[in-house]
Parts: sequence; C-alpha cells; structure tokens
Amino acid sequence: MSYYFAIVGTQDNPLFEYEFGTSKQGGDGQSRFTEQARHLNQFVLHSSLDIVEEVQWTSGQLYLKVIDKFFNNYISCFMTAGNVKLMLLHQPTAVAAGASTRNSTSVGVNPTSPQTEEAIKNFFTEVYENYVKAIMSPFYKVNMEIQSPVFRQRVAAAGRKYL
Amino acid sequence: MRHRDHHQPHHQLQQKTRQSLPADSPHHHLSQSDASLPPLPFRTVNDARRVSNPAAASLFRSTLTLNTPPGSPRSASPATGPGGSSSPARSMTLPLTGSIFGGGSIGGGPGGPGGPGGGSGLGKTQSLLDTGAADNPGDPLHLLLRSFVPHVAIHASEDVEGLVREKGFRRGGLWELLRPFGERLPGKVTVRDSNGAARAWGDFAVRFVRFGEGVELPDPVAGGDKANGPPGEKGAGKVDLIAQVETVVERHLSYAEEAYSGAEAEQLEGTPTRPGVDVDATSPYYALYLRRLLSGMPLACHESFAHPVACVMAISSRNPSPIEALQRLYKETCQGEGGLPAWVDGDYLRYYVLVHDEENGDIGKSMALFDQMKRNFGLHCHLLRLRSSQSAETDDDSIPLPPSDWMTASEELADIEGSDTQQDFEDPARYIFESDATAIRTFVREMVTQSVVPTMERNISVWNDQVASRRRGISGRFMSLSKRWAFGSSSRGASGGASSSSSNYDALGFYKADSPEAIMRRLADFAFMLRDWKLAMSTYELLRSDFQNDKAWKYHAAANEMAALALLIMPQNMSSKTRIETINGMIEQAFYSYHARCNSLYGAVRCTVLALELLRLRGGSGIDEAVRWGIRVLDSNLMGPVGDALLKERLAICYASKGGAGSQAWGSRRRKSALWSVLAADAWIVQAKYVQARRCLGEARRMYALLPGECGVQSFGVASDFLAHLNDQLKAGLGADMAGTEGDYMEDGQEQVTSFDDEQTETLDNRRRSRRASLIGPAGGGSASLETAPLHDVKPARLLSEDNGDTYPSQDGFG
Repeated sequence: MSYYFAIVGTQDNPLFEYEFGTSKQGGDGQSRFTEQARHLNQFVLHSSLDIVEEVQWTSGQLYLKVIDKFFNNYISCFMTAGNVKLMLLHQPTAVAAGASTRNSTSVGVNPTSPQTEEAIKNFFTEVYENYVKAIMSPFYKVNMEIQSPVFRQRVAAAGRKYL
Repeated sequence: MRHRDHHQPHHQLQQKTRQSLPADSPHHHLSQSDASLPPLPFRTVNDARRVSNPAAASLFRSTLTLNTPPGSPRSASPATGPGGSSSPARSMTLPLTGSIFGGGSIGGGPGGPGGPGGGSGLGKTQSLLDTGAADNPGDPLHLLLRSFVPHVAIHASEDVEGLVREKGFRRGGLWELLRPFGERLPGKVTVRDSNGAARAWGDFAVRFVRFGEGVELPDPVAGGDKANGPPGEKGAGKVDLIAQVETVVERHLSYAEEAYSGAEAEQLEGTPTRPGVDVDATSPYYALYLRRLLSGMPLACHESFAHPVACVMAISSRNPSPIEALQRLYKETCQGEGGLPAWVDGDYLRYYVLVHDEENGDIGKSMALFDQMKRNFGLHCHLLRLRSSQSAETDDDSIPLPPSDWMTASEELADIEGSDTQQDFEDPARYIFESDATAIRTFVREMVTQSVVPTMERNISVWNDQVASRRRGISGRFMSLSKRWAFGSSSRGASGGASSSSSNYDALGFYKADSPEAIMRRLADFAFMLRDWKLAMSTYELLRSDFQNDKAWKYHAAANEMAALALLIMPQNMSSKTRIETINGMIEQAFYSYHARCNSLYGAVRCTVLALELLRLRGGSGIDEAVRWGIRVLDSNLMGPVGDALLKERLAICYASKGGAGSQAWGSRRRKSALWSVLAADAWIVQAKYVQARRCLGEARRMYALLPGECGVQSFGVASDFLAHLNDQLKAGLGADMAGTEGDYMEDGQEQVTSFDDEQTETLDNRRRSRRASLIGPAGGGSASLETAPLHDVKPARLLSEDNGDTYPSQDGFG
C-alpha cells in the first residue's frame, strides 16, 4: 500500500504533502507510486474535495473514513475545526489487492476494512495533534504552508507507527 | 435545421471569411445530423492542399458543424414535414432540464458516496421523456429512443430495384431510397398502451433494413455442433463492431484536425471552445459514437429489436406477372435461402407495395392491379407513385435526400475509405423530386400509423393475454417453481441446464420463436418500442428470472439491460434509494453476463453507456452512479482509445451537470468534472487530437475558475506542472498543425490556448486575482479570446448555475 498524505487549506491549497509506503507486513515505508501517478494523486485528492464538502455535513465526526474512490485509489479524510482537511490517498498495490483472504482484513491490504479504518483514524488523530501544535506557532498564519521539519518527522513517525 | 433561417445564403457564406451569427442561434454547435444538411460549403477555405477531396466533406457532415449550413430555401429536409421536428430552442429547454440539476438541499442531499440518499432533483413521478432531453437531437436519450424502434425489412423484386436504380440509387436500391424517411416520420403517431390510453409521439420512427441482413449467430451451448445457421452472414460482426465505430469516429476526428489546420482559426473558434458547464450539449463525436454503436444492432436471438416487425414487399408496374411475383416474394420470406433463422418469428406483418412508374407506366392499369392486390392480400397494400428518371441538383423541383443518420459503422467506413482511394469520388448526396418525396412520406406514414403500429398493439395485447398474464398469476409462479425444482437434482450437474427437458432453451443456444420465453421477450420489446415502459418493465422482470434459471446468459443480460433502461425512463414511484439499488443490481447483472459470461463487448458497452446517460438525466445521486459505471467501462478496457477519451469527456459533463446548493455550491462536482476534463485532454493529446484536447483543457480551466478557491489545482505543484506540460504539448501540436498554413494562425491559436480562463475572472472578485499563479497563462491574452468566440453566448452556463442559487463565491466564505 502506498500513501499520499496532504493537508489541504481552505482555498484548496496544500499546506503540507507527504508520500510514504506501508511499514506493516514487512513494508519498507517507501511509496510505490509510479512516476505518472504523481500528478494524478494530486488531481484525485483535489477532486475528492467535492465529496468532502458534501459529506462533511452529514456526519458529526471529524473523521469521515473513506469518502471517495477513484479506480484503485481510496481517499480518507479528517476534518479539522478550521476547515482545513487532512486527506490521505491510499492505493493498495496490485499484488495485495488480489491477496489471499487470510490477511484481507489487515492494514495495508484491504483499504475499507475496519482495521484499516481504525489505523487511519489513529494516524489522523496523531497528525492532527501535531498539526495543532505546529500552527500554534506565533509566526504561522492561516493557509500558510507548514515547513517545519519537526512536523514532517512526526508525520513520518505516525505513518510508520500505524500504517 | 431549426435555425437554418438565421444563416446567410450559400453564396454569401462562401465569400465571407468570418460569419457573424445572431445570438439567438443557440444550437449550432450540436450535432446537426438529425437535420439533413446539404453538402457543407466546407471549401470556403482556399487552401485545398490538406483536404483531398471536396466531396469527402459531406461524409463528415454529422460532426462538422463549424460552418453551419447555409439557409437556402431548398435545403429544407424532404423527410420532415411542416409539423416536423422544430424542437424548442435552448432557451426553452433550459427551464425544463434545469429542474433535473437542482441537486438537493443539504438536508436531503446524498448521504455519501456509498449510500445515495435523496436528492434526486427530478420529480419522482416524472418520466424522463418529459424532461425535454428527448427533444434534443444530440442527446443520448433522444438517440436511445431513435435506436430502439421497430425494424421494417424491405424485400423488393428485381424490377423495383431496376426502377430505383434508374433514379440513381445504385447501391442500396429501394432500401436506400426509403431509409431516410423512416427516420423522420412527419406528424405525430398515436400509440395505445396496454391499458388503452393513447399518447401521441412526435418523434416516432421506424428503421428500414434489408431483408435478412445483419444476422448474428447465437453461441451454441456446450457442444452444439449442429449449427445450422443462415448462410453467409457475419458471425464475427459483433466483435468488430466497436472497432469499426472507433475507426469511423477516429476518421471524423482526424478530419476535424485537418480542417482546423486548413481552415481559418476564427471560423473554428465556436466549436472547440464552448463553455464547459454547458451540460445540455453533447459532443458531436460522442453523439456519433453512440449513434454508430446503436445503429449496428445485430439481428440476434437474445433480443428482438432488430427482428422485423413488418416486411415491405415491393413490385413495380413493370412486372409482367405481378401477383405471382408477390407470391414468390412472400415465399422467399417464409423459407428458403434468404429466410430468417429459427429464432425469428416468421409471423410478422407483410406489407405489399406496388411501385408505379409515373413516367412510363399506365396509371389505369396500375390502379386495376392495385385493386386486385387489395382483394388478394387484404388491407396492407400501398400504391407508391414514383418518377423513374434521375433527379439532378439543378432541377427545379429537386430536393436533396438526406443521408441516413443511422447508417452502420461499416457502411460509413466504406464511404470514407472510398473517398480516400478514388480520385473522382462521387458525392454521395442524392436528389429526388419533390413529388417523389411527398409520395414516399405519405406511404411511410400510412404504413406506420395504419399497419405497423396497430399490428404491434394487437400483438402486444394478444401475447399479454395469452402468455404473459398466465405467468403473472399464482399458477404461473407455481409453474415456474415446479419447473425449477422438479428436475433440479438431476439437471444440476448437467451442462447449463440445457439438457433439462423442461427448459425451452435449445442446445443450440436459443429459444425457438414459438416458445413462451421468446414470445414474452418480443412482447416486452414491442412494448418498449411503443414506449409502454410499465408493461415492458414488468415483462422483462419475469424474463430475468426465467433466463437465469435456464442459464441463458445472453438472454439474461439483455433482459436485465432493458429492464434497467425501462425502469430508468419510466416515471418513478419508488424511493430514490431503492430505485438506484434495484437499477444498479440489474445493470451489474447485465454487465457481468455480457462481459464475463458471453464475452459480448458490444452488449456490455451498450448497456453501461445507455444506463450511464439515463442515470445522469435522473440527477442527484444518479450522477455519482453514472460515473461509477463509466469508470467501470474504462476499467474493463471495453473500448478503444477514441471511445475512452470520449467517455472521459462525457464523465466530465456528467459531473458538471450536478449542481450544488447554497452560495458555495456544496455538493456540486466541479473539481471532479475538471479532473475528468484533464484526463480527457491527456487522452486526446496522446492521440494527437489537439482540437479536442484544447476544448477539454478549456473546460477544465473554466471549472477550476468557478471554484470558491478560484485557483484550482494550481497550488498543487506536480499537478499544475502537469497542466502546464499538457498546455505546452497542446501548443506545440496546434502549432505544428498550423505551421503548414500561415504564421498568423499560430499566434492566434496560442493565445487561444493560453487564455481560456481569463474571461471567467471578470465575473469573480478581483481580490483573489493576485493569488492566481501565472502558470496557466499570461494575463494579457484574455481579450483576444473573448472577441474571437462570438459564436457562443456563455450565457447558458451562467443561467444554469443561477438556477441553482448563487454559485459565485461570497466574500465571507469559509476561508
């Protein structure tokens, strides 16, 4: 499973982007997106904002689970209080998609299983915590890109930990 | 055709390099091919280098709408009477269709991508036919209605063919002459449904086919080695069909590319850059694709749409022994070499026509003969008086015979290839005398209203009483149950249940024409063709389970497909959620049966694409479902590159037609729509179809500019790099195209490319303008594109969005 994580600001502008791969089941934490898919990831994530805008009113939760699917890409979303969205695009690898039923519920294989949902929720929660800390910086303004290397490290750590 | 009057006469147009059209001709960029276009003055351009043959231009008239047809008085379509298809203009259809796109309030909005909630803007009890989309000639719903029409076979004697050949119809004979008239019946046709309620349809049509053509053999079930199919027919035709359609559309596209490079860019402006959210407009190429797809409907066993409802048997006054000739023709349709296979009901209507030669024949003798025919054959007779000499364009009373809109892909391909190879390619446009046209129109109308439709109505009521209603009752259910279980244990292991003695499904892979299943299928198809959706739907519903029990997968797929389509068209009573789930289930089964079980790509494509279009018209959560099916088609690689690109374009339009609620248009799908436009542009560029790509890219930009954030994907680095990259490729491509002509055009084209989105900015607030990255285009080129796009009022887009409330970003947005 490959992941593309982005924090999207209120003007559809990405505040933070990070790409990584699964660390479960012996994954090395590297993303497996092809070079052609790079731009597509951004397009797909961006287009899912349409769905976010619709779904956000129907749920009282901040975590909206998997909200959209584009071919083999699944998009999960976590709303923050300031209309900034944490979005995660996850793409099961082709091999994993056809994997045996034994581990079909495990994280990193089946993008819609409850286990994956829970793992992504944990990931989002941890990132959100760090995000709040990051934007508490007195030098940070709304919709400004987050460039803090510490924040990036923490997101990477959360990715390794849960996904 | 409806705005032909607005245009300037032929000769004037040819002199002008740039035409100024009045603003009230809103439809000119649509596919006009339903209208009969006279040969286009395409060679207004003096540059004859690129386009090899002038006559070839008329081959592409169905998609070439750049130079709108001249309004010469004689170009009125001969097949359309005064009460013909003068559909309302865009301004009138907008309020009607606008109600579809109403989306829904937030409270009732769809409950998420997986679970569609309410939000269907369409009234629950409204049939899709009442929405106005059916009147729009390029619209898929219109195409659907025009393609599932009664087929009338034509079987003419040699002397008739000879007479018609003298009139200049060398290839197809009588069939070629009659065909365009079946597509446009003048006036309304009244049809009674099974409850006896009459409804008049203004757009009723029949399809004339040559007798015994286009037969598709059934795939024998396991080990059916005694295939005794009809001789000499293409069994592989179904495999090639999609490829043929692809090729035809590809040729049209290439022609447009060449035309672009040859013609003056200003004239072409209108078509490629129409407003992106103009959801009523169907791309002419997409319409063409659909039309060729649907016109190739084979005479197959699993559906009876292409089976003849009637057969025209024609003799002429030249025949020495007319009655014997008719009897011989009759015999030929019943048995013998040219006869139809066993799954076609042989009991269709015979319609006897006496073609009287006005110039050489003796009318008195013909009348006497006609009386004799009436005595012998009953009421289904007609005396058709035609002149036998050929009409030329220069004759006073000649009118052009419109080309058939429903020619099959292979025919059109043959035409196009013919125009390539032969230097002296003959313009396929034919001319006939006004009096002949009137006679044929009267004949076709009389045949349809007095013979074909009443016969179908009668058949429906008989079959409904005798076969279907028995199955609907309690005992019918019991019968089917006992059939299923009595031999269940013994036949379960057997191959396909075909060996079960209770099944009517032959080992050859079809139901005989007199089996209850085949009759019910015919009943349902007749009801569908006469637009009695309810009866059709309930009958398909019965058949679905029957076919599934018999494991007649192709039948099963077709029944599911048609059930879904009928359910989508008919007025809805169920709640939106149940409805969508039911329909999805049917499409799913149809798709799976066609694709996986029968390997029938044609069926799979037809079923999903039609369902997609109808779901789109249903609006609300139907749009998300529609796109889901579109993705499914793309995912399964059913179509070639052209079809894929067209479909991507179409998905963008699908999403664009979903309106949002409130000032931020929550629930609209603009970003999605733009994404698909970008994908389509990418697909077109790969195929070097730069004109199409430019239009798609323009639409994407427009969509992004409408967003509240107003900057689209620009702040996403890689994505906007990709857009810029596409843009560069596009510029290079268009530039290369135009390098052959003059440098001016190249610059002009570049400006066009770079400046699509700027005009949108004017409607938006200036405050955010500074934030826009300059990647998409230098801000300078804006004015040029505005003035060179006079063919379009951008109005429809705005009107539409204003219908849904104020969609422009408010200053106090959530930003």
